[in-house]
Amino acid sequence: MTDQTIASHVSAPKPAAKPARGIWRQGWQRFARSRTGMLGLVLVLIVVATAVIGPFVAPFDAQDQSPMLDPGAKAPPSWTNPLGTDRMGYDVLSRVIYGAPTALAVGLGAMSIAAAIGILVGGVAGYRGGTTDEVLMRFTDFFLVIPMFVVILAVVRLLGVAVVDTPFESVPYLNLGVIILLIGVFSWAPIARMTRAEFLRLKNQEFVEAARCIGATSGDILFRHILPNALPSLIVIIALGIGGAVLAEAMIGFLGFGDPAAVSWGQLLYFNYQALKVAPWASLSPGLAIFVTVLGFNLLADGLTDAFNPRAKN
Amino acid sequence: MAGLAAETQAAAAAPRPPEATASPAPVLVSVENLRIQFPPWNAPVRVVEDVSYQVRTGETMGIVGESGSGKTLSSLAILNLLPPPARIAGGRILFEGEDLAAKSQAQMQKLRGRRLAMIFQNPGYSLNPLLTVGAQLAEILKVHEKLPRSAALQRVEELFRLVGITDPGSRLSQYPHEMSGGMKQRVCIARALLCHPALVLADEPTTALDVTIQAQILDLLEELKQRLGMSMIFVTHDMGVVARIADRITVMYAGQVCETGDKQAIFARPSHPYTQALLASTPRIDKSYAVDAQGRRERLPTVGLAATPGQSLGGGCRFAGRCPEAVPECTRLVPQAAAIEPGRSVHCLKRGSAGVPGHG
Repeated sequence: MTDQTIASHVSAPKPAAKPARGIWRQGWQRFARSRTGMLGLVLVLIVVATAVIGPFVAPFDAQDQSPMLDPGAKAPPSWTNPLGTDRMGYDVLSRVIYGAPTALAVGLGAMSIAAAIGILVGGVAGYRGGTTDEVLMRFTDFFLVIPMFVVILAVVRLLGVAVVDTPFESVPYLNLGVIILLIGVFSWAPIARMTRAEFLRLKNQEFVEAARCIGATSGDILFRHILPNALPSLIVIIALGIGGAVLAEAMIGFLGFGDPAAVSWGQLLYFNYQALKVAPWASLSPGLAIFVTVLGFNLLADGLTDAFNPRAKN
Repeated sequence: MAGLAAETQAAAAAPRPPEATASPAPVLVSVENLRIQFPPWNAPVRVVEDVSYQVRTGETMGIVGESGSGKTLSSLAILNLLPPPARIAGGRILFEGEDLAAKSQAQMQKLRGRRLAMIFQNPGYSLNPLLTVGAQLAEILKVHEKLPRSAALQRVEELFRLVGITDPGSRLSQYPHEMSGGMKQRVCIARALLCHPALVLADEPTTALDVTIQAQILDLLEELKQRLGMSMIFVTHDMGVVARIADRITVMYAGQVCETGDKQAIFARPSHPYTQALLASTPRIDKSYAVDAQGRRERLPTVGLAATPGQSLGGGCRFAGRCPEAVPECTRLVPQAAAIEPGRSVHCLKRGSAGVPGHG
């Protein structure tokens, strides 16, 4: 047999040069076609931009109560205080701006924790199967049924008492950190379930079997073959979870259990809801901020579903 | 398939070069009394029962059988990659003097891809959609030969050229979905050959391709096999394909071997009733089929009755229920191999096999 014969097999015409299109690029193209997804992305980018550059452009410092003296508390919007002032004499616009980094820290922080636990637990359960799977999924069910808010409120209140006169008292944003940690610890169960389902689906795919056949190690199979293929579904559920985490923190703040040192939208509502009739701007502004952020992440998740799972919609 | 079916007869009839009958090459892999079972373990389902065959160096063994005949499972068993909960319940798989069935997964991982390689049925599913083909293939060289990335990619490119991929250099950075089915199968073949394995297991590598591409891929495999001096186990349900590529054939039915022998001998003188029925039911382009007075064409013969349901696995010869020549003992006694010609054996009580009482 000669090269002649091999050359004679060649039948496919040389493809025209075009950019490589992986699943991510295809996903982006579908995402760009989804109007709700793009709206979500724009809203999220607005929040992110506010969090990043907001503190540099905010008219007042977060803890600056000087407007109390000049226009006074509960003053309506003016040139110096575009969104008015609140019950405590803070500038509402500045407080809302300073709330953005907190909201993002909660959303991203909590979901990073949830994603780390969820992917680990779900991945091990799905890949190993058998008894390991049974045990881990019952453990997951256990976390799914614990009422998150009761636990968080109890822990935050007890913690406030417990740290008095200990070195922990001086840790900055300790309360907020604990809230982030707890929201994360109580939101991983759906991620674990999704990860398990995806790993179960993927581990029997032919390309994974093929990888095993050519001697790929377990690590390669997990991190190069299975996990990247599971990511599209996981990103959707994580994006949805970010909105949920922001909302959860707002709720805790609104109930008065927030971190007194941090500026949080929920807490602004808590401080100002009693003056709703006198100074509606002080309650509506943080409320709108929460609304925009959560809506943004949910629409983003919606667009990501369109992008990575186009069949689910039709 | 009609085109290949015609070639079936042609290839079977054509005298082969004497290489097959010359002094036999050493046996590379020897499957001995392989038994694969599925749970429940107190009454296991014996999907593969006492299967034995040998593949010599440089030879292609075609394993033919219908769905559920255990042909894929017995080849996955060679790689020690049976899908759970299936397990090897007995027998040995001797490869280069070692029993693969007794090896640990860690030991097997070092052999897979290096000495043993597999080509899958559907090239569309057997490549990771998220990695470029170059990266996927270079990974194997990284694992087995600790080659740096650039050297690995160079080797991959050479292999791409060998398997007839156009413009191999730029194909390296393409994703599987940018390629046609035939091209993907060439990539899969390149992947299997990357470390020059001694044995390639091909599980219906042409079934998902259309007939013209199928012919190209078969030619390619044949050519590569001769060039690289490797052995191949070619699993298929397609008599046309097996006639074209195999040197020797093992016919399987419901987890049992029906007969083994040289391709020409089996096509020219099928011995087992199942093989006879199978060949009789293959449409032939060189045969004219009679048309009766109502204008109805003569019907092709079929392998009689329905396929054996899974529950009845066990007992004697599993083909007995469909066999036109079955006698009562057939359902009770398992036929053992009987040599009927040099290098040819058949498992059938009516062809001189000894029978031993079955397990079931």
